[in-house]
Parts: sequence; structure tokens; C-alpha cells
Amino acid sequence: MIEIRNIKKSFEERPILKDISTLFEKGKTNLIIGQSGSGKTVLLKSIVRLIEVDEGEILFDGRDIRKMNFKDIKLLRQEMGMVFQGGALFDSLNVEENVRFPMDMFTTMSTAEKNKHVDFCLDRVNIKGAHKLYPSEISGGMRKRVAIARAIALNPKYLFCDEPNSGLDPVTSILIDNLIKEITLEFDITTLINTHDMNSVMEIGDNILFISEGEKGWVGNSTQVLFTRNKKLNEFVFASPLSKRIRDLKQREDDE
Amino acid sequence: MKVFSEIGSYFLLMYRVFSRPEKSRIYWRQLLLEIEKLGIHSLGIVAIISVFMGGIITLQLTYNMSSPLMPTYLVGLGNRDTLILEFSCTVLSLMLAGKVGSNIASEIGSMRVTEQIDSLELMGVNSAAFLILPKIIAVVFISPILFILSVFCGIIGGLIAGPISGVVTVATYMGGIRTMFVPFFVTFSIIKTLVFGFLIATVPAYQGYNVQGGALEVGRASTRSVVNTSILILLFDLILTQLLFK
Repeated sequence: MIEIRNIKKSFEERPILKDISTLFEKGKTNLIIGQSGSGKTVLLKSIVRLIEVDEGEILFDGRDIRKMNFKDIKLLRQEMGMVFQGGALFDSLNVEENVRFPMDMFTTMSTAEKNKHVDFCLDRVNIKGAHKLYPSEISGGMRKRVAIARAIALNPKYLFCDEPNSGLDPVTSILIDNLIKEITLEFDITTLINTHDMNSVMEIGDNILFISEGEKGWVGNSTQVLFTRNKKLNEFVFASPLSKRIRDLKQREDDE
Repeated sequence: MKVFSEIGSYFLLMYRVFSRPEKSRIYWRQLLLEIEKLGIHSLGIVAIISVFMGGIITLQLTYNMSSPLMPTYLVGLGNRDTLILEFSCTVLSLMLAGKVGSNIASEIGSMRVTEQIDSLELMGVNSAAFLILPKIIAVVFISPILFILSVFCGIIGGLIAGPISGVVTVATYMGGIRTMFVPFFVTFSIIKTLVFGFLIATVPAYQGYNVQGGALEVGRASTRSVVNTSILILLFDLILTQLLFK
């Protein structure tokens, strides 16, 4: 479980995060949604302390990351996995080496054990026969899946995904979403996903935090998000004509 | 004020770079890769430039020493000392600042903008040490080797250009090479190459590590790193010459 309390962050006097508090539950896919530039990525990176916040508390199962020294942060980060927007795979390493990298750095596993675990992680994200390929040789969707495999290599307690669907087609997006959801349940981890993809919201939104202009706009789940009266959230969720039609149809169906 | 802030940030980064590695074996593997990439891949260009420069210095010395009172063996001596004292350490380091420095800045800068450095940090890896320390050791280790290679190739260059153009015989040239050799000149230049090697690795690494933005900023950081490293090499050349020859 991750709890944030009264998080504030400004860049050159310009407030980006304005007093945000919320709880991200264990074993659930916690979504942070909002328009581009609303502060989602800043919030996600602040939680893992890649960005220093100005004020507030960030508690990982009661441990405040802001009060930790460099050594303790390093230890805590070994409990985290993160899938970055572009995958952030190491260009100089192939798929297999990318997934093995955290094990090489932080475990005393034998080569055979590592190879077995690499195979397990890659199987888990449905990647077969691409072990020796380099990141530049695989598709965007595969890169994301390899990034997920690397993120779960050390069995993390916390998984962070920064727009895992960006740049992917709808079918691959759903595959990635389902994969993250399955992994969250399977490993019972606290997952935070930063997204503005409405498919993700509807498919895997166990717990949704809506951020608008740096403020906490709304909190709920994927069912509640359809019928909210929050004006800003409605404008965001039903921005496209298709989603508006779906809502109207669903409302009609419920009325009948 | 910005200069002081930059110097402060540079030393803070160096403090992180020289902290204890997570796993020495991984660093060792990285070091070997960096030696190959930054050092071995520079051997060819260093050899070619040095051969030509050695030849050019020989011809320039001959054409500009037209006095009959000056013995021609001074051409070999002049070429040797020019190579040892300045060309093979300072000029070559300026060239390496361009080749190796821009490589380091753009590589680390690209890793920064594609969030690979954030990814390392997120795993609990000290990204500064992991990425920069092997490069520093590799460049500092390889610099004296490149210096010795450069002096050797420069002398060979003079040996080819002098007799071919008929300005000096092989025997006279080689006689000059063996005349009045001061071993301290070599020690002095190796000390300089070690310092320059450190600058060539750390200044571009600092520029690349602190890139913010996209591809354009990576390019700018690369250019800035070459300019800053070159200026610092010349500044330290001046300081070391004053200190070591005093």
C-alpha cells in the first residue's frame, strides 16, 4: 500500500501538484488519470522520488521515502518495478540481458537460475523467440512487454507504469492492460498506472485518481467513472463522440 | 554565479561516481567494454594523425631551419620533443575530447532523455557510478597508451617524410632522435595525459548526465562538452607546465 499526504510540487514558482492526498491499495490496479500536462507523470515520479516534492509525505507501507537517506532509498527501490513511457530498455543489451540485468545487480542467483527466471518472466509477458533481439529490433508493444518482464524480475512489491499504452494500437493496449492486471493479482502488488487511455480506465480501473490542473479532482472506480457528476472528469472521460454514445446507450439500457 | 553552480554540481556528481560499486563484477565487464569502445577504437585515428603530424613537423622544421649553422640532426630531435611535450599529449587530447568526449556526452545524454538513467535509479543502481566510473577508468588507463603510440607513430612519420622528400637522411634523423633525450619529458607528458584523460571522461559525462529535454539538447550538450573539455585541457596544460617545470 502506498499513501501520499499533502503532496505539493512547483517548478520555478509554477505549482504543478497542489496538495494531493490519496491511498493506492495493494493487489489493485490504481490508475492516475488526467489530461496531458495535468501533473500525472510528475506525481508518479515524485512518488518514487525521481522528482523531489516541496512538501508532503509519501508512505510505502508506512515508510516515508522522503525521510530516507540515499542508501535506504536504494534498498526500497529494489522492491519497485517501473515501466517507463518508452520502455527505457537499455539499448546496448538484448532482450534477455535487459531482463537479467536487475538479477545480475542484486541477486546471488547462479547463471542457470537466472536464465530460468528470465525465461519465466518473458513467458509471463508472452514473449517467445526474441531473447537475443535488441530493443531497436522489436516493436513498441514488445518493448513494453519486455519492460514489464524486467520490472517484475525481482518480484517487486510496487509496480509503476507510466502511460504503458502510449503509442500502441487498441488491441496491443488491451493485452498490456490485461497483463498488468494479471500480474498485479498474481503477485499481490501495489500497482500505479499513469494513463489517459479510456480503455484502460474501463478495463482495469480498480481505483482511479483523476488529476486536473495539479489538483485531486475525483476518486472512484471504473463503474463510478461513467456516472460521475464531476464536470471536469466528464469532459475528460467523454471527450470523444464514441464514448458519449456508449454512455447514452448504457444509460438507456439501465433505464429499461 | 552559474559557473560556481556548475562546478558544484560537477563535484557532487563526482562524489556519486566514486562511491562504492554495487557489484564489482558488473563494473569490471563494463570497464572492458569501455576500454574497447573508447580506447581500442581510437587506436586507428591516433596512429593516422600521428604519422601525418610527425611527417609535417619534420618538413616544417627542415624548411624553417635554413641556417647552415644548425645541424640537420636537430630535425629529428625537434620532432621527438615536439611530439613528446605537446603534440602527443595536448593536441591528441584535444582531438580525443572531440571523438571520445562527444561520444560520452551523447551516449549518456541519450540515456537520460530516453529515461534509461531513471530506470537504473529506479532499480536501485547508482547510475552515476555505473555509467561514468568505467568510462573514467577506461580513458585514464588508455590515454598513456595512446600517447606512447602517438609518439612512436609520429617518429615513424618523420622517418618516412624526411628521407622521401630528401630533406634529411635516415641516419641523421635517427641520430637526432637519440640526441639529448630527457626522460623527464616523458614522465611530464604522461602526467598530463592522465589529467587530460580524466577531463575527457568526466566533463562530457557531466554534460550528458544533466541533459534535460530531447535530441536537440543532447546535441547541444555534446557540443558544449567538447568546447568545455578543450578549454580545460589548455588551462590544465598551462598549469601543469608551470608546476612541473618550475
